[in-house]
Amino acid sequence: MPLLPGSSRLAHSRAGTVRPKFMEAGLLLVILVIGVVLTLASDPVTVAGRTANNFLRLDNLIPNVATTMSWMAIMALGATLVIISGGIDISVGSIFGLSALGTAAVLQQLPSDASAWQSIPIAAVVAMGIGLLCGAINGALIVGLRVHPFIVTLGTMSIFRGIGLVSVKTKTLPSLGKELPASFTDGFVSQRWDVANTFVQPVPMLIMLVAVIAAWVYLGHTVSGRQIYAVGGNEEAARFAGLRTGRIKLRIYALAGLAAGLAGMVSVGFYQSANTATGQGYELTVIAAAVVGGASLMGGRGTALGAMLGALIIKLIENGIDILRTVDLGLFTVTVSKEYSKIIIGLAIVAAVAVDRFSGHLRVRRTVVEDSRPPA
Amino acid sequence: MIRVEGVVKHFGGITALRDVSLEIPTGECHALMGENGAGKSTLAKIMAGIHRADAGSVWLDGQSVDFRSPADALKHGVAMVHQELASCPDLSIAENLSLGGIPRRFGIFVDREALNRRAREQLAAIGTSLDVTQSMSSLSTAQEQLVQIAAAVATGARVLLFDEPTSSLSDTEAESLFELIERLRDQGVTMVYVSHRIPEVLRLCDRVHVLRDGALAGSLDGEAADELSLVRLMIGRDLEPFVPRHLEGVPGEPLLEVRGFSSPNGFHEIDLDVRAGEIVGIAGLVGAGRSALTRALFGLDSAACGRVRMNGREVRLGSVRSAMDAGLGLVPEDRKRQGLVLGMGVAPNQSLGAAERFRRGLLMSREAESRHAAQALARVAVKGHSLHAPVAELSGGNQQKVVLSRWLDREARVLIVDEPTRGVDVGAKLAIHGLLDDLACSGAGVLLISSELPEVLGLSTRVGVMRDGRLVAMFDRSEASPDRVLAAMASGERSSSS
Repeated sequence: MPLLPGSSRLAHSRAGTVRPKFMEAGLLLVILVIGVVLTLASDPVTVAGRTANNFLRLDNLIPNVATTMSWMAIMALGATLVIISGGIDISVGSIFGLSALGTAAVLQQLPSDASAWQSIPIAAVVAMGIGLLCGAINGALIVGLRVHPFIVTLGTMSIFRGIGLVSVKTKTLPSLGKELPASFTDGFVSQRWDVANTFVQPVPMLIMLVAVIAAWVYLGHTVSGRQIYAVGGNEEAARFAGLRTGRIKLRIYALAGLAAGLAGMVSVGFYQSANTATGQGYELTVIAAAVVGGASLMGGRGTALGAMLGALIIKLIENGIDILRTVDLGLFTVTVSKEYSKIIIGLAIVAAVAVDRFSGHLRVRRTVVEDSRPPA
Repeated sequence: MIRVEGVVKHFGGITALRDVSLEIPTGECHALMGENGAGKSTLAKIMAGIHRADAGSVWLDGQSVDFRSPADALKHGVAMVHQELASCPDLSIAENLSLGGIPRRFGIFVDREALNRRAREQLAAIGTSLDVTQSMSSLSTAQEQLVQIAAAVATGARVLLFDEPTSSLSDTEAESLFELIERLRDQGVTMVYVSHRIPEVLRLCDRVHVLRDGALAGSLDGEAADELSLVRLMIGRDLEPFVPRHLEGVPGEPLLEVRGFSSPNGFHEIDLDVRAGEIVGIAGLVGAGRSALTRALFGLDSAACGRVRMNGREVRLGSVRSAMDAGLGLVPEDRKRQGLVLGMGVAPNQSLGAAERFRRGLLMSREAESRHAAQALARVAVKGHSLHAPVAELSGGNQQKVVLSRWLDREARVLIVDEPTRGVDVGAKLAIHGLLDDLACSGAGVLLISSELPEVLGLSTRVGVMRDGRLVAMFDRSEASPDRVLAAMASGERSSSS
């Protein structure tokens, strides 16, 4: 760690500072603990003549965890940007749904044997274009009207959902008798790979990983990413330092929309359909993932990796409750039904924020300590 | 009587107080002085139950006490008047004064009459009257302080602790606070007055305790103390008077020309020049429109109108970018709120708004950023701490230097500095004065706003005075005597609040 010249005296004082790196290590530890507990607690199952741990096997982890978390995690990346900037976006579930519907509506016009060179770029442009546009509308309203982002996105959540409802009378796309080009679905998003004699569909997960890396680079290693932390940490100081905070915020909400659009594309490609309720309620899971991943609702803090790990923790809890019907605790057996997942995830969210609060408390106490050196 | 004995306090690895013992007899007002970080506030906070001592004891009227919380201290009659006041801004004065136990009627309804009567009585007890139904947010800082003092006295406080009470008061407001403190002392209230302002300590206090590096450096009787002896105790050596070097040069062409500059946000018809190589000081009471002027010059006031020229070129008003592009810089009044992103590291704060220069292709080089920050901060002699530790961990003086170094980087042609040494200790203050002087020597112009008259008079080539939003006088250095400047600041009607 570079120190300023003549600095030795207080160098030790930063030992207790909570840093994002430690936080991500903490998340990894939580994931490891959940993983170990679930592995030990789940029974072996026999599938296709082979015996494997019910939790720790590819055809549980990829379809039930990695794939279903992928669109959540992609959206959580966008939510993390917004939360770092000190804002909130609750319209992402609707943007996700609208983008999935829009993509399906356009793709079903193509012949079902359209080439991948045609279907994939079209899907990407339509899905991310819708997302970007919706996000930019959010940003423009927030910056232009100076209305709190919660209120603006509460409104647009309803508007974007309504646009889907109005334009898709059949409720579900593709419409009856039509289908999405196979080159986009089976050929791309829901492609099956044979890994060690197990068939899995890893493409959504891979898209998620690419998105996480992109967001990580963006947040940590670009000027534009740095500006987000500055605006979230102290918007007024950012303005006094000459940053164009309006533009920065517009960009943040546009990117959050873009992420929701990409997530919508992945979802429509995987399920090969979308309906007017797609993505309803996702905004809360997505914000929860970002918060569990360490993004601070006070602004100024959060990471891309944290967003993904947060989504993973939530998914692991859901998956664990799915596969563990009964847990033998030695003296007695607990029956866990699926309905408990909401309660446990709720507890996880509160715990994550409490931990954040506690570490924030430590930080505040540390800043009380002033520089006690006499002038040289 | 309140007495501390052998008090030790650590924060993390830092010793804030080491073995401090002192005693304040009943009905006396004693000052705790020292530079930032010397431990004066920490000691006061231990007496008020906000912090707990790691070792040592606090004695109140001969009894050992161990306060667990401010509320516990209050029960024993010890109350603290804070710099930043904790109140519910949208509730009325009366409601705030009775927050702990609002009088009721029939058990559930608020007894508004009793509530207001009680509040009026409490204010009357300290010799003030205010409309108790107005909301806290409508009060000035001075009035809020009065309400806080009234609340403390009403709860039967026998020991009152003040932490830098005048830091955001105008001179007249401070004067009435001093009168109140003297009245309370005559009523037998014991007072601890934490401040780094020597004149008011000399005026008010019976005895002055000076802390340095967490230890008691010495105690002087109010009569025996003078500025020189106190400064010597505070910094541990003699302080040489500062003579600005830029005065040796001759100011050049006007860099900044302001004509007929007005804004509904607090100033009217300002005509002002800042020439190359000079420091123009602006004195005035709090609320005279000085800070509003600085913001507007820097493009932060979209309602401002008039003409601002830099280097002979028109500056577009209401745009920070065009002000910056023209070579204007602003070190804002409130560095914690407007100057720094406190939770962010030192290096990113140093280059806040200018990270563009570390761009390498699409990415940003953090290494270049750290390297640059280390150089830039060495230039302004910021000491201590890692470049990646939150800037909040720096002392006030070092924080201010971080903000200053940002503008040195950008080579601002005219730097506007608003209260550059507020809440900064003696050593850092000198260093900041030196930096501003160097800037003027290098041919830039400086517009200095300060509520500390000695600072304005000591540094400036010319001294302007603002009153009620107007620039009412402009003195050359030779003409700018304290009396004349003070007279210009105060004459006429009271200052408006903006």
